[in-house]
Amino acid sequence: MSLTPRLPGSRSIFPYVFGGLFLIVLADSWRRAEVNPGIFFEPEGREHLWRFVTGMYPPELSWEFLELMVRPTIETIQISVMGTLIAVVIGFPLGLLATSTFSFQGILHETEFRNAGLRHGLKVCLYGLARALLSLFRCIPEFVWAFMFVRAVGLGPFPGVLAIGVAYGGMLGKVYSEIFESVNERPLEAIQSTGAGRLQIFFYGWFPQVLPNITSYTLYRWECAVRTSAILGLVGAGGIGQQIQISIRMFNFHEVTTLLLILFALVAGADYVSAKVRSLL
Amino acid sequence: MTAPHQYRLESVRKEFGRQQVALEGFDLTVAQGERVALIGPSGAGKTTLFRMLNCTIRPTSGRLRIDGEEVRELYGRRLREMRRRIGTIYQQHNLVPRLRVVHNVLSGRLGRWSLLGSLASLVRPSHLEAVHQALADVGIAEKLFSRTDELSGGQQQRVAIARVLMQDPEVILADEPVSSVDPSLAESIIRLLITISDQTRKTLMVNLHSTDLALSYFSRVVGMKQGVKLFDTAAAQVTPELLRELYSGHVPVNGAAGRVREAEQEVGEPAHWGAA
Repeated sequence: MSLTPRLPGSRSIFPYVFGGLFLIVLADSWRRAEVNPGIFFEPEGREHLWRFVTGMYPPELSWEFLELMVRPTIETIQISVMGTLIAVVIGFPLGLLATSTFSFQGILHETEFRNAGLRHGLKVCLYGLARALLSLFRCIPEFVWAFMFVRAVGLGPFPGVLAIGVAYGGMLGKVYSEIFESVNERPLEAIQSTGAGRLQIFFYGWFPQVLPNITSYTLYRWECAVRTSAILGLVGAGGIGQQIQISIRMFNFHEVTTLLLILFALVAGADYVSAKVRSLL
Repeated sequence: MTAPHQYRLESVRKEFGRQQVALEGFDLTVAQGERVALIGPSGAGKTTLFRMLNCTIRPTSGRLRIDGEEVRELYGRRLREMRRRIGTIYQQHNLVPRLRVVHNVLSGRLGRWSLLGSLASLVRPSHLEAVHQALADVGIAEKLFSRTDELSGGQQQRVAIARVLMQDPEVILADEPVSSVDPSLAESIIRLLITISDQTRKTLMVNLHSTDLALSYFSRVVGMKQGVKLFDTAAAQVTPELLRELYSGHVPVNGAAGRVREAEQEVGEPAHWGAA
């Protein structure tokens, strides 16, 4: 049943097979996902589209509405900041444990002979456990986490914070561990050879190497968290997102436009701040 | 001699994995305050030897004693204490690029500092006088607060030497300390190392690519090839034939070369042994 008969001495036909499979998948997806750009050109579709766009304009800019939106806006920022903080608290230690060069391999473990078998086994187990946890945390989408936390702790910003904290903790931990794996061990060896202890090696040789990368990735994730916190509002986790949901339910698309503009400003602001911080590193 | 030797190696062997034998039947005795140059082609096991001499890796078999202490029996605090007494200058400097020069130099002190003290120094560098002096000794006093990765290769090598000065060890091991600097600078760095070892009576062992430097600055020269010691003799006794044998070695002309051939058979493939 092999799709790829092996001809001795011939060049690999894998590229062709995979190329063909890719085209089939693409064509089938087009059909099944009901992709139909023609809809924009049919008179009915055009009308709908036009109504939709004009219905959103102009944005609602009355003073009362804007005043009402101040709190949700601040709430969104706070959700993203607290969520990212919790994500770092979860992601950093798990990321460390999920780093083979940190927990059981490499130069820092070269001269450990005493109880080596037992300790090594324990460390490998911890490593596997950390990896599994990180995968679990990030494979469940944020809004599913939010949904569960709304059930658990009630409506409001806190379930949003927890959802971002857990889901982003998984993502941060994964990327952190990749950054940690790429640490250059030569300086660590040099510092070890001066007679420094583990923690001293950690702070003098290891931490300075990873700090710029993990800071910039964490800031990027914070930027994403601002946007995500808006999505989470849709399941009742507070902030701008909850207001968007309310306005959509009431068919008040002028308000939706305003809220989207606020969201745009927030994301752009987060981008600006993180760029500033990164340039300092 | 009543005082124990600085180093005493007896039939030391080091393998990486099953196949790669980096050192084989290695004997070496170095007295306190002695200066020794090691030469040999790359892949001879010189770096592996140094990493054993500074207690980074352990011999697979054989005995390695430092100042009378069997390294195999050192763990934890005593191992760190032993490492503190041995300073190493690495071929690639092995500095932390993003740290300022002052912290890289101060990291030589870590073996003597408490954790809290060393953390406090990362925020507010301590012992600035001593760091300044160490940097002045190597001729780059003005770089105290520069970021290390902004320095040239030669300057970074000097920072690495300043780190060893700060460590103030009993032994200085320098692994190809001049391979990344131009010849005139190379000579001045070797002179600097010799001056340091002279003034403070430190044992000095240097791996060198350049046989000229080895023969003109060191009275004792050890030739290594494919994990075995080929010769260990006074510099005056190192003949051109010996050097030719060390660096090409295809034509066995005397007993010493016979040993090489034996070793080759024993060792198997003359691979790129972990020296890189």
